[in-house]
Amino acid sequence: MIKEYTGDDMIVATGIDKFYPNGCHALKNVSATVHRGEVLVVIGPSGSGKSTFLRTLNQLETISSGAISIDATDMYAKDTDINKLREEVGMVFQGFNLFPHMSVLENVMLAPLKVSKRDRREVEEHARSLLCKVGLESRMTNYPSQLSGGQMQRVAIARALAMKPNIMLFDEPTSALDPEMVGEVLDVMKSLAKEGMTMVVVTHEMGFAREVADRVLFMEEGELLVDDTPTLFFDNPEHPRLAKFLSQVL
Amino acid sequence: MEKTPNKLLWHGVLLAILLGVGYSVLLASQSIQYTWRWERVVPYLVNTEPRPVMSPFDGVASISTDGLSVSIESDNSAEPAQVFNEFSQLVVGDGDMIFEGDVVATTNDWRLGPIMNGLVMTLKISIVSLIFAVIIGLFVGLARVSSNPALKYLSLIYVEIVRGTPLLVQIFIFYFFIGTVLGLDRFTAGAAALSIFAAAYVAEIIRSGIQSIPAGQMEAARSLGMNYAQAMIYIVLPQAFKRTLPPMAGQFINLIKDSSLVSVISITDLTKAGREVVSGTFAPFEVWFTVALLYLVLTGSLSWMVKLLEKRLANSD
Ligand SMILES: Nc1ncnc2c1ncn2[C@@H]1O[C@H](COP(=O)(O)OP(=O)(O)OP(=O)(O)O)[C@@H](O)[C@H]1O
Ligand SMILES: [Mg+2]
Repeated sequence: MIKEYTGDDMIVATGIDKFYPNGCHALKNVSATVHRGEVLVVIGPSGSGKSTFLRTLNQLETISSGAISIDATDMYAKDTDINKLREEVGMVFQGFNLFPHMSVLENVMLAPLKVSKRDRREVEEHARSLLCKVGLESRMTNYPSQLSGGQMQRVAIARALAMKPNIMLFDEPTSALDPEMVGEVLDVMKSLAKEGMTMVVVTHEMGFAREVADRVLFMEEGELLVDDTPTLFFDNPEHPRLAKFLSQVL
Repeated sequence: MEKTPNKLLWHGVLLAILLGVGYSVLLASQSIQYTWRWERVVPYLVNTEPRPVMSPFDGVASISTDGLSVSIESDNSAEPAQVFNEFSQLVVGDGDMIFEGDVVATTNDWRLGPIMNGLVMTLKISIVSLIFAVIIGLFVGLARVSSNPALKYLSLIYVEIVRGTPLLVQIFIFYFFIGTVLGLDRFTAGAAALSIFAAAYVAEIIRSGIQSIPAGQMEAARSLGMNYAQAMIYIVLPQAFKRTLPPMAGQFINLIKDSSLVSVISITDLTKAGREVVSGTFAPFEVWFTVALLYLVLTGSLSWMVKLLEKRLANSD
């Protein structure tokens, strides 16, 4: 798989720190850059701050210090409209978080209609094509409660894509799924990566990281310890903590 | 396996208990030599008594040939003749001399008696208060979950004050203090007190409804670019609404019952009408049983409507 690097930085996080209100120091001076079209995978033990890091990238969590730029826009600049910025950054959650009171099609169409105020016909056409792409053309009128976990997660991906984002964030998208459904979600993510979507993925799927990632990050106790290519990351882990972690999970 | 109760047997027991209660009420009233006179209550529900139609001035009656209308020619020629054609029984004859206040005819049309008028007043004040309670309660509930300290604590103080003082005292404060300052009439003061009171409970119901929706719903909505208001309107409130229906129904029923307290500021609602009628009929048991039954009809039909709505919403997903 050959990636074309245009060289521009989609996400630049510089020295970010995060303290939760209870005093928990969840991120310690984390810096990372994601280029356009790159797939970044974040790995680390439970409680290491992976979710916190990901959620700072669309400001579901605010940072205590440091700076974040999305597509050359400073997230914390005075004139930055966070809602506008979030339209550019899709997010997929571990627990799907579909809207249970709406059909699959309505879930996908809501934000483009209400937030982007796009034309209804165009939005519906787009939503249908996205749902076809994730293999759910026969499920459009169903409610989330009538779907399997894998189907729900694919709807969630289609819902995020409906906003035509430039960046997609995934927080353990397959962790809540039965093993036989993990593949169908990973396949959708792989095809997204192939299309050149910029992605940051928190996951425990080492196979996915090895195959799809351009770079893999290792976090522990709020610190970003390793930022390397998958080959070096998995086959030649230099950091002793990473080597220990990999020996435990692989 | 759990034993299923014998349905027939226990239905029999139920019936026996109900009959027993009814019979003991009968015995109790006999023991105090009470004679039931239900018919005395009827005129206070609907008034079927013939009503007199009276002449407004002195004059001479002339009856039309078909006997369906009577006109009174005034002695004072400057005044136009008065024509009556809605009556059921004619009292005067053609050419009779009529004096002011004389009964010309009687009508039999039904009118609501005082108890029914009281029921209408109770219904009116309950509906008005209910609408305002929901509107105020929604905003206070939203303020309760807001991250703005001013909104959060103002709403908290409001809820605590209203829930910590008796409604009766609040009604007096509204009528005698706020009502005097703002020049409110009885009805407005009473409805305002009820609305403010019920809104505090509605706010708490809405707050807990909002908080029962998983945080992930708000996060998903925000991550799609929705602002806080859009996320509330399209995602959180519709889901919360469904969960708040049962407690909301209970609150509305309370509101109807609590409305009986406005009788203390001389609003002639169902309860006050009952009190007035008791003194006129000497049939206190019948009157209070009737009043209770009418409240039951109001609250019963309300909970029936909410059940219907709940079923509707449950079908939608
Ligand atoms: N809302 C919160 N308030 C306080 N502390 C929090 C909050 N969320 C997370 N933390 C703490 O911050 C640290 C990092 O949590 P985070 O959820 O980012 O870890 P994670 O790497 O995603 O773990 P996991 O693999 O279990 O999802 C943990 O110590 C956690 O207890
Ligand atoms: Mg996590």
